[in-house]
Amino acid sequence: MSDERFSRQSFLGEDSQPIFERAVVAVAGLGGGGSHVVQQLAHIGFLNYVIYDPDVVEDSNLNRLIGATEQDAAGAVPKIDVARRIITGLRPRARVDAFRCRWQENVGPLHRADLIFGCVDGFSERRELEAFARRSLAPLLDVGMDVHRVGDEPPRMGGQVILSMPGGPCMFCMGFLNERNLAREGERYGAAGGRPQVVWPNAILASTAVGIAIDLLTDWTRSLRETVYMSYDGNKSTVQPHIRLQYLSEVACPHYPLSMVGDPVMRWSLSTEAEASIR
Amino acid sequence: MTTGIRLTRTLYEHMLGDLRRPHEHAYERVGFVSAKVANISGEHALVLLTEYWPVLDGQYIPDPYSGARINSAAIREAMQRALDTSDGIFHVHMHEGRGKPGFSTMDAEETPRIVAGLRIAAPEAAHGMLLLSGNHCTACVWLPGAEEPVTPAKVSVVGYPIALLV
Repeated sequence: MSDERFSRQSFLGEDSQPIFERAVVAVAGLGGGGSHVVQQLAHIGFLNYVIYDPDVVEDSNLNRLIGATEQDAAGAVPKIDVARRIITGLRPRARVDAFRCRWQENVGPLHRADLIFGCVDGFSERRELEAFARRSLAPLLDVGMDVHRVGDEPPRMGGQVILSMPGGPCMFCMGFLNERNLAREGERYGAAGGRPQVVWPNAILASTAVGIAIDLLTDWTRSLRETVYMSYDGNKSTVQPHIRLQYLSEVACPHYPLSMVGDPVMRWSLSTEAEASIR
Repeated sequence: MTTGIRLTRTLYEHMLGDLRRPHEHAYERVGFVSAKVANISGEHALVLLTEYWPVLDGQYIPDPYSGARINSAAIREAMQRALDTSDGIFHVHMHEGRGKPGFSTMDAEETPRIVAGLRIAAPEAAHGMLLLSGNHCTACVWLPGAEEPVTPAKVSVVGYPIALLV
C-alpha cells in the first residue's frame, strides 16, 4: 500500500488516519444501507470492525447490496462474508469481527465499538440498539429509508440519519420513536409493496452518516456541536435537518439518564413489613 | 481481556475545568468520579464514568512536598458514596500541560491505598485512578476481584467531537 492512498483526504487533519486506524466501528445490519457504510469506511481507512447480519445474499438483494454478486446469491453467501470481502479487499490487515446473527445474540463484541452504525429494520430493533448504545456510552448513527404509497399519488420516498449521542436527545426525544409506531410494528415499516428498497437512497443516507462519523472523529469542520437528525426526501432529492430539531427540549434526555449506564444491577430489598414478618 | 473507559465530553470538560481551579495552598486539585461497568465478564470490559465531585477546599492538607494531599474526610466521603451506591469510584487529578501524563511517585504510592479502601466499600465495582493532562490521560483500573490493576486499552471521550485517548 502506498503512502499516497490517503493523501487526498489529508484535509481531515494530520491525526485523521491514526484515528481511523485506532477507532472500532460497528455496523449492525449489512443490507442496503450497511453495505454502503462498510464500503466507505474501508475506503477511508478504518481497520477495526464489528459487524452483524444473520442473512445470506438472495437474488432480491442484488438491486442494492453493495459488493454482492450473482454468484453470492446462487451460493447463499452470508452477507457478513460480502462485507468482509469488501473490507479486506481494501484493507487486508483489517480486524473484522463478523457475526452471522442479530447483534442481540452476541452482544459482547459490540462493547468494543467507539461508534455504532445502526442499519437495522423496524422501530423495535432501533429502540433496542439505541438502548444498548446509551448503556455503553457509544454514539449511534441510525440510517434508514422507506417508501409509502399514498392513495393514487406517486410513492413517497423518505429516510433519516439520526445521531443518538449519549447525554443528548435520543430517538424518543426527537420523536422518531414513539409508543404509537412501536405498537404498529406489526405493520410493514414502509407501506408500498414488500419493503421497497433501492440503491441510491441507501447511498445518500449511508454517505451522510459516514460523513457525520468522520466529522465526529476528526472534528475537521469544527462545527458539529449539536444533535443531528437529517431528513431525506427522495421525491425531491433533498437532505436537510428535520423540523423536529427546532422543538427539541433543552432538558437532558429523560429516557436514558446517565445514572442508568452500564449493565443492569439487580438489588433486592424487603419492605419494612416484609422484613418484620420474616423475623 | 481488555478494558476501556468511557465518559461524556460534558463530564470530561467539567472535570478539567474544576481541576484547573487554583487552590489556596495545594498545587493540584483532586476529585472523584463514580463509575459503572458493562460487559465485565466479556472480552472487553467497559468502565463508564458518570458523576464527578471535587474534594472541597477545606479537605486539603498543607504539604509543600506534594502536589495535593487530601484529608480523611474526603476519603471517607468517597468510601461512603461507594457503600451507598455500589458504584465504582475513581480518584482523579490533573497535571497541566499536553501529552500523556505520568503518575508521580506519590501518586503511585498513596492513591492505591485510597483505592483499596474503596474496593472494600464496593467490591463488585471497578475502581481506579485517572490522571488528566490538557489533551491526554493515564489510568489504572482495578476490576472486581482482580489482584492487580490494568491499564485501559482506550479512554474515550464521547461527544462533539469524540476523542480516543490512550
